[in-house]
Amino acid sequence: MEMTIAQGIAKAAALLGAGVCMGIGALGPGLGEGFVAGKACEGIARSPENANLITRTMLVGQAVSESTGIYSLVIALLLVFAVKV
Amino acid sequence: MTHKGLSLKTWIIIIGVIEIAVVILSGGLNKTLQVGFEDGTFAIRNVADKYSIQEAITEEFQPDLYLTENGEEGTIYGSTALYDFFHRIFGGSTLSAFSLIRMLIIVNLAILLIAFSVKKYLFDRPSKPQILMEGVYEFFDGLVIDSLGKERRSYTPYVVTIFLFIWVCNMIGMIPIPGFMEPTRNLNVPLGMGIMCITVVHITAIRTKGLWRHLEPFINPIKNPMCVLDAVGEISKVVSISFRLFGNILGGAIIVLVISSLVKFILFPVGLNLFFGLFVGTIQAFVFTMLALSYISVAITEE
Amino acid sequence: MVSPEIVKIAMFLGAGISVSVSSVACGIGEGYIAGEAVHAMMKQPGANDKLFRNMFVGQAIAETGGIFSLVIAMLLLFSGLENGVLSWLTVSSLLAAGIAVGLGSVGPVLGSGYSGGQACAAIGRQPHHANDIMGNMLIGQALSQTSNIFALVVSLLLIYSIPGVPAGASLGWIIMKATALLASGLVIGFGTLGPGSGIGNVAGRANDMIGRYPAQRKTIMRTMFIGAAVSESTAIYSLVVSLLLIFAIK
Repeated sequence: MEMTIAQGIAKAAALLGAGVCMGIGALGPGLGEGFVAGKACEGIARSPENANLITRTMLVGQAVSESTGIYSLVIALLLVFAVKV
Repeated sequence: MTHKGLSLKTWIIIIGVIEIAVVILSGGLNKTLQVGFEDGTFAIRNVADKYSIQEAITEEFQPDLYLTENGEEGTIYGSTALYDFFHRIFGGSTLSAFSLIRMLIIVNLAILLIAFSVKKYLFDRPSKPQILMEGVYEFFDGLVIDSLGKERRSYTPYVVTIFLFIWVCNMIGMIPIPGFMEPTRNLNVPLGMGIMCITVVHITAIRTKGLWRHLEPFINPIKNPMCVLDAVGEISKVVSISFRLFGNILGGAIIVLVISSLVKFILFPVGLNLFFGLFVGTIQAFVFTMLALSYISVAITEE
Repeated sequence: MVSPEIVKIAMFLGAGISVSVSSVACGIGEGYIAGEAVHAMMKQPGANDKLFRNMFVGQAIAETGGIFSLVIAMLLLFSGLENGVLSWLTVSSLLAAGIAVGLGSVGPVLGSGYSGGQACAAIGRQPHHANDIMGNMLIGQALSQTSNIFALVVSLLLIYSIPGVPAGASLGWIIMKATALLASGLVIGFGTLGPGSGIGNVAGRANDMIGRYPAQRKTIMRTMFIGAAVSESTAIYSLVVSLLLIFAIK
């Protein structure tokens, strides 16, 4: 509750940064993982005998695309909890 | 073929009426409306002018914070001694830990009930739960054979147990009894499940490929230039698999609470409960199980 | 404390942003469904009824985002919030509520639209499997609209749980808290864009492929479930961060 205006603005900037970081950071992974899964549906329909291979590749590809989302989450949590002003 | 007894539609209507009656009688109503006799006449009064959604959410999701903010004394089942006993173990999060443990015990009892009701080997006229459970088991058995191969069929009980546990956890919050909640909406439960699943993945991979052959891609930068990213990716698997379950169930619980309190707990949002309880709950349990299975199948594959 | 006029400005801005942004997405998504349906009717005039029904159902579900925005706009305009206790926290909460549900409905609505359009195209290709395709379309659209519901949750929370300003609060604290509320609207608004349209892409490809290879329906649906659920995880992270920004900043 006790905070100078400068401290308040600094903490506010950190929180706004957390919001923008997670919000915009969720864009790319979401779109990319959706694209991967859509193509996997296509591939499984065309060659169902490779369903295992396709599912595995899809999961690995999605895990790699999601890592940037995880980085955004980590940075956002750091900005919310670890920034002391 | 003739039906004996009541039809499905009648059962659904009866259960819906009972649910609404239970919600109204179970204390949701007396938070906002006071029904009784006042000066000799029957009166219904709204006493909830100061009732806010923020307070309701704090009371529902952070009971200990609600307790300290309102300066009330902590009791469990009206007993201070029991509260003190649990306070010595759990410290500042006594009430949430107690309700979580209570729900976990109920979930385990429900699973035991399922297990005892279907364990018999019947050769003629198996009961309906037996047929249902055997169907579920056969389904996951097929998935395990598809992705791990016939020689690892011993993983089927593990996979079915994960599915049953998470499914019962997600379903049990739909029962409209005060204090009933989904254990999966507390982050500790999904996180523990996630850590367990990833541990099983690595143990299986080490048993299949050998210790050094499994660990080398994570620590040897010459063989695998992306080794740091791969190691971070293993941690992010735990985070993503558990946060997905946690967030879906928590979001459903919050929206059911918010919509219920917007209509002053008079109506029970059956449609929302069906969507978030049955649909999202079943899908998330299935996805968690499938991911736990697929991660094993990714890890044991030779590259 | 602020004057009611400033709170009204925030209410009007929030209502305008929510309805206008989501109506753009609704127009695009539903227009895509109708376009694909018309195209499919041209190829298969015999499947007219099935296509018409599928188009209506798909558009109704894609419309959900627009209806959520309309509900929030109505709540902002007509629920008399400017008569309560007013502070800068009220201003930023109301603005953030509009931004959250407005931006948050864009991705899911576009995704549902893509899913519905591909379902219409698939029914035009295989009219005999119209029921299978429609069931798959409904499930895909429901998965896609889940992130929209998260945005609605955050928006309702922002409207109905506006925190009061404690007695000893300094100006710096008020600035920080108001920014946190605004940021919680922004995070769920932008955070559902990618996952919503990504899940719509998954569902649309699945519908298309069920139309081409109806025998593989079960395998395709299984893959769609897993892929869609994995794509949703960033929306969940946004929801977690948003709830933290609302409730954990003391």
